[in-house]
Amino acid sequence: MGFAQYVGARVLWAVFVSLVIVTITFLLLSFAPNPNISQAATQAALEGGDPSEAVERERELRGLDQPLHVRYMDFLEGVYTFDWGWSERRSQPVTEALRQSIYYTAQYSIPWTILTLLIGPLIGIYSAANMYSWKDHAATGFAFFGWSIPNYFFGIILLVVFGVWLEWVPIQYSTNVPVFSLENARQLLLPVFVLVTGSIGAVMRVSRNESAEFQNADFMKTAKAKGVSPLRAYAYHVMRPTMVPLSTTVVGQLLAIFLGSSLLIELVFGIPGLGRLTYDALIAQDTNLVLGATLLFTFVAVIGNLLEDIVFTLLDPRISYDDR
Amino acid sequence: MLGAGGAAALAGCSGDNDGNGNGNGNGNGNGNGNSNQSTIDPGGEIPEVSGTYTDVQGSSFETLNPIYNDEQGAGEAIGYALDLGYTFDTENELVPLLYDVTTDDGGATWTIDIREGLQFSDPYGEYTADDFVFYVQEVHQSDAFASANSSEWTGVEVEQVDDYRVEATLENPSLLWPETYAPLEYPIPRGLIEPYVEDEDEEGMRQDEELLELQFAGNMGAYTLDEWVRDGGTSYSRNDEYYLRDVAAESDGYFRVFEDAPYFEAAEIDVIAEESSRVAALETGDADHVTLPSSRGKEFQQDDGTNVVLVDTPYNNILSVNMRDNGWTAGPGNLFRVKEFRQALAAAIDKKELIEGVYRGFHNEHYTWQPQFSEWFPGTDDLTLWGNPDEGVYGEEARELAEEALEQIDEDYAYDGDDLVTPDGNQVELELYHNSASQTQELAAGIYKDSFEEYLGFTLSIEPIDATRFSEEYWGAADDIAEAGTTVEYQDKEFVWNAPNPSNPGPREYTSNESWDFGTIFGLNTYPLNPLANSAFFDGAGAFYNPVGYYPEFDAAGLFEQAQNAEDREELGEVFDELFTNLNEEQPYIMMTFGVDIEGYNPDLVGPTPDFANGWNSPAWYFDD
Repeated sequence: MGFAQYVGARVLWAVFVSLVIVTITFLLLSFAPNPNISQAATQAALEGGDPSEAVERERELRGLDQPLHVRYMDFLEGVYTFDWGWSERRSQPVTEALRQSIYYTAQYSIPWTILTLLIGPLIGIYSAANMYSWKDHAATGFAFFGWSIPNYFFGIILLVVFGVWLEWVPIQYSTNVPVFSLENARQLLLPVFVLVTGSIGAVMRVSRNESAEFQNADFMKTAKAKGVSPLRAYAYHVMRPTMVPLSTTVVGQLLAIFLGSSLLIELVFGIPGLGRLTYDALIAQDTNLVLGATLLFTFVAVIGNLLEDIVFTLLDPRISYDDR
Repeated sequence: MLGAGGAAALAGCSGDNDGNGNGNGNGNGNGNGNSNQSTIDPGGEIPEVSGTYTDVQGSSFETLNPIYNDEQGAGEAIGYALDLGYTFDTENELVPLLYDVTTDDGGATWTIDIREGLQFSDPYGEYTADDFVFYVQEVHQSDAFASANSSEWTGVEVEQVDDYRVEATLENPSLLWPETYAPLEYPIPRGLIEPYVEDEDEEGMRQDEELLELQFAGNMGAYTLDEWVRDGGTSYSRNDEYYLRDVAAESDGYFRVFEDAPYFEAAEIDVIAEESSRVAALETGDADHVTLPSSRGKEFQQDDGTNVVLVDTPYNNILSVNMRDNGWTAGPGNLFRVKEFRQALAAAIDKKELIEGVYRGFHNEHYTWQPQFSEWFPGTDDLTLWGNPDEGVYGEEARELAEEALEQIDEDYAYDGDDLVTPDGNQVELELYHNSASQTQELAAGIYKDSFEEYLGFTLSIEPIDATRFSEEYWGAADDIAEAGTTVEYQDKEFVWNAPNPSNPGPREYTSNESWDFGTIFGLNTYPLNPLANSAFFDGAGAFYNPVGYYPEFDAAGLFEQAQNAEDREELGEVFDELFTNLNEEQPYIMMTFGVDIEGYNPDLVGPTPDFANGWNSPAWYFDD
């Protein structure tokens, strides 16, 4: 199997997986009580009307009186044509709500991801190269401090020190600031710092352990014997094989951290991003928006997995496509 | 801003009592703070236009569509760009903005005079009586649209008299109609909503971009809405055409202060959900206004960098007792149904200690269903001051009341030494639910527990709970609702449930899913401007809102009817005196304190006033450089 065929097969698999998840979501939604319907019943009762009539009317209005397979096909069509409905909580189309919140989330999550992927492995390899020395302990201590201190708490502390006391950074996140501006960099400094320190611990630990086995490998001894500079030796002979196992876990890890951390960070720093959108949609029982956010995360996870597999094969040319 | 928060939902639950509300509306405030120099001088110089006013709120807005909004925070956001019909000043006088509302026949027919020269944005033209009548008749009074004000217009006959005059005839005369906020409306252009009305397209009207972004506001708002970032807030720029300037030019009185209003170049509302970040924004000068938590109030009062204004609110802190069949979980019977036992509960807690210990001094004592700043408060001479050690009934007297209550029930509860024991001989233990997200409620619950143990001999198990869960499973009954027309006879009176609903599902045998005894989760609006609205709580046992299953022992329905038919305010006052004296005696909810909002402002800001009416003249606020 060639590379193109392999990628094609993986894409098809990704489409299939997304279809399965969308179907499960549809079934769960179909069997869950619909808040709009209970709300209609309550409203009717409040106004002295007939709750059961109101329920029927609401079911009809929302197309819930149709057979399951018809609703399923409508649902699929809506999902894949990006007609994801109207968000009651935000009074805008769901796709627009997601687009707007991603716009703000991307502004801190892109630098966060890049910095995590750069700094995490570097500290890990640095630690491995100086294993059990004070430098190793210091690097590990730094990474694990960020990992263990709750982001929410850390964010507030930094905000008090650098925002309130020193007044180096603004307290409020302003949506009126241009994306590529010093002002935006200033207001995103703390959120990015908190997230990077929170996520490099895991990346650093995997890098450290994985790279440790390559430190004294024969090819490193050969490279050193040939007079290759330590920097080049680490970059080519340690970093690259280390990145192979790392690439299989990093997407999942970052997604998990992203879901939890982004909400807290957005709450503390007042960023109107995806974390808050998802959380508020859940609290407000905004079904369409919850569904939209679920689909978005599903697609991100499926595409992330696909990219992970492709990167894996690119990084390690020994791996045959036929094996997958 | 201008009275926008007044048209609150009927029940008006404040939910959490940590001081995160905004006391819009009106009354004769007794608030204080360090803000006396910052009020506007009507005879002073007209200020320069400068700067951006930044307000910070804790939660975002569901909709800015004025037809459907029923949230106070969003009402304020709309208020920057669109005035409501009228407001009330600090003297409790109606101030006409877009229109005036008057009556000359004792409140049966009201004349609504719309100001001339009010313009919508193109292409909708002038705001006239035709727009007003069309909006009321075709939206509020139509079954096709569930607008926020629908219920206010039921039974009101609206007729256009000429281009600027509307006549509204009420089903039942009411001298306090404007104070109910019922005729308080936003201007909505007929041309904009007519297509949706013709198609009965509620979804279309709800989702219309012009309505959602207030693009039709014309000269009727102090600012123009530039952008609404969902979860991020709103930003506005000064409206050069604001109509109040023309009004100021033609008047000599207080309106003069609007001569060049508004006095900020721009305004914005930032949404910061996290409390400490919100407060920090005020500390650093990034915000010009933040509502402060009571725990930080004194600190900011002593800080010259902040102007603290205390604003009375109509929301109370109460201890609800469940008189329904799933209340009083300690054993057989239900002592909460006995008036003397409720009085005992009210008398066992020292209100002053509660206010100092829990609310850091930032609340007011609550004895009956009106705050003391209300025109309709009956005066302390006529009330029993429950829980007031100096002038009222407190401490050991609570125990005497409880013993009186024991004599009135069939079940064999008794005092064994200091302990109140069940017929089985065990000490009575009851449950108290408080909002798990509220530290003040948790602290208050501790004081209730200690007080009841000390003076009434029963113990409490204190349970934190999510407010939504309490609302759905404990407070309201969604499943078990009586048939309309169900009646019950109690103490020789007959009560009828004409419209049972989850907030009052029927007689006491209709209950919520879960049993409960005490709840501190919800505070309720007491409607100090218009106590008639309280009929929803107390108009007999079948009132619209009665989750606790209270059966009044006095003729509450008769008093509300008298108030409805009163011919002048003096007569109204007499009826309300009787009503609130009775409620003070019966304690349908154990009344504890009234909330006070602690508003923190930029000290350079001139305008905020320490009373219930704070904000009524906000377009005239300015920065004193």
